[in-house]
Amino acid sequence: MKITALLVLKCDPETPEPVILANVSDLSQFGKFSFYRSNFEEFIVFIARTVARRTPPGQRQSVKHEEYKVHAYNINGLCAVGFMDDHYPVRSAFSLLNQVLDVYQKDYGDTWRFENSSQPWPYLKEASDKFRDPAEADKLLKIQRELDETKIILHKTIDGVLARGEKLDSLVEKSSELSLASKMFYKQAKKTNSCCTLL
Amino acid sequence: MKQGPCSEEDCFSLLKQFEHILESDPLIDEVGFIHPSQFIMLDEEASSSNVYQNEVQPNNGTSRKFWNKDHKLGISTDILVQLCKYAKHVFLLALDEYKCHGNISCSPCTPESEVMKHSQAVLLLSSDFGTAWNARKLILSKKDQLSAFTEELRLSGLILSNSPKSESTWSHRRWIIKMISQRFSTPQEIITKESELVESIGERSKMNYRAWYHRCWLVSYMEIEQVIQELNKSKRWAGLHVADSSCFHYRRRLMLKILESLYVKGGNAYDKSEARKNWKEELDWNKELVERYVGREALWLHRRFLSLNWIMYFACNDSDVSPEPGESIIINEEIAIFIDNEIQLLESSMTVPDTKFEDFQAQALHAAVYMLWLTKKMPELWRMLEEKLGTEKVKCVMSTIALERPSLLHHLVNV
Repeated sequence: MKITALLVLKCDPETPEPVILANVSDLSQFGKFSFYRSNFEEFIVFIARTVARRTPPGQRQSVKHEEYKVHAYNINGLCAVGFMDDHYPVRSAFSLLNQVLDVYQKDYGDTWRFENSSQPWPYLKEASDKFRDPAEADKLLKIQRELDETKIILHKTIDGVLARGEKLDSLVEKSSELSLASKMFYKQAKKTNSCCTLL
Repeated sequence: MKQGPCSEEDCFSLLKQFEHILESDPLIDEVGFIHPSQFIMLDEEASSSNVYQNEVQPNNGTSRKFWNKDHKLGISTDILVQLCKYAKHVFLLALDEYKCHGNISCSPCTPESEVMKHSQAVLLLSSDFGTAWNARKLILSKKDQLSAFTEELRLSGLILSNSPKSESTWSHRRWIIKMISQRFSTPQEIITKESELVESIGERSKMNYRAWYHRCWLVSYMEIEQVIQELNKSKRWAGLHVADSSCFHYRRRLMLKILESLYVKGGNAYDKSEARKNWKEELDWNKELVERYVGREALWLHRRFLSLNWIMYFACNDSDVSPEPGESIIINEEIAIFIDNEIQLLESSMTVPDTKFEDFQAQALHAAVYMLWLTKKMPELWRMLEEKLGTEKVKCVMSTIALERPSLLHHLVNV
């Protein structure tokens, strides 16, 4: 049960790319050292932006990508994105994202609408540690809004989130925020995962 | 970034560099292929107090091709293909030399050591090169020190750090273990370490069937005490990876070994009651997980195995004789109670409070399929199902399956 990353983004219809307001990642799976750590971090940011941009306000989405599930929840332009593993219950993930958005609003009010860069936000790290056990996230269900009528869409692949004709491969290739090294890392990861398929 | 073929001289010097690094740092535990642009960044990241640099400094104008600090080795991707081709070529020449002339040589480098040196280089670049693995097997089979084999385990571990799904590498490890067990004894420690290695590789490399297959293979080398230890040690990991069918498959392999030991030896009463306790624990734990983590097929698949064997081997009237497959199972009171509880579990799993996350629907489906599968193994179950649930509910169960998995329904219902 893992929370690999939690991010808060500003999804403004004015700005083309969502702005990352806060970002925490747990890369302990890579050990103290890894050749691929920085590539992976770049990718988290890239995927988070890609998914957040395509999550309209009032919507929740879950996307399966490689061995992760990416969950996004947009409330009025403030979007929380979580990268969890396949084992972490989707339901609990959204409880957590809901909580993250609530606390962010409490801490920052509406000032985030004018924010254009990422700031350290201690609660995010706390949340990432505390809610590693989904049972903790489930406790939140009792105090969260009962009427959460926000629509949820579950996608089996990230191409499902993209517009018709768009493919992740080409977005990666065209991206100016991904280094050459990360683009190569993406291709290698795809190849490694293609030898075993889930039925 | 320089592209284009490198000259024979360049390749020769690159290979020499590569092999020199490997020789001078026997503690390297991780290899990676890195983009040339990452060298500077890696330098910055690495411990600043460690000033150790790759001894062979590149000439002015040539960019660095190898990165080696803190026992990690990175190889620049822009030389990979040429280096690999050249290393293969050199290896094949050395192998020829070894096969033709044996291990006689006037120079300090024996053909044997050349073959080992070059095959190591090749395999780090291309782990599935069978000829190289076989050459190493040929040479190793003539060795009589355990250290040669444990060193080989280290090398294959290093290769796995970059190619965790390489079948040839895993297969070679099995060959090494077989050789060790034939020539020396099989220290339990080696098997334990192998098992831990698979778990750590399984943690960072998902859907790694080959790693888990390897772990299952190890079970045949385990004594019962170790089997039980493994079950206990790996339980926590399994509980945190409920979507991973491989880890539960491994548990089934372990439990099967326990079952087998009961009947092969004609197990005494104590053994059987211990096994019975373990089985019951596993069943209860599985139920907790199933109720806690809704809609996980791996958990329900695990339950099939647990339930059927519980009924056939443990809940049956005490006998030291295992029931014949196909033989009708007499439903005694204990079995009846067990089945009752399973039907209750099915009933509660069939309620779908909401359809937002697909988890409750998945749970209903998996529970239904589970029950249907049991009835196929135990036709007597049908009657109990109808009695307890009533025709309407049974129809509901069947239609759930028909909706999502019509071919499965067809397969399970028809004899």
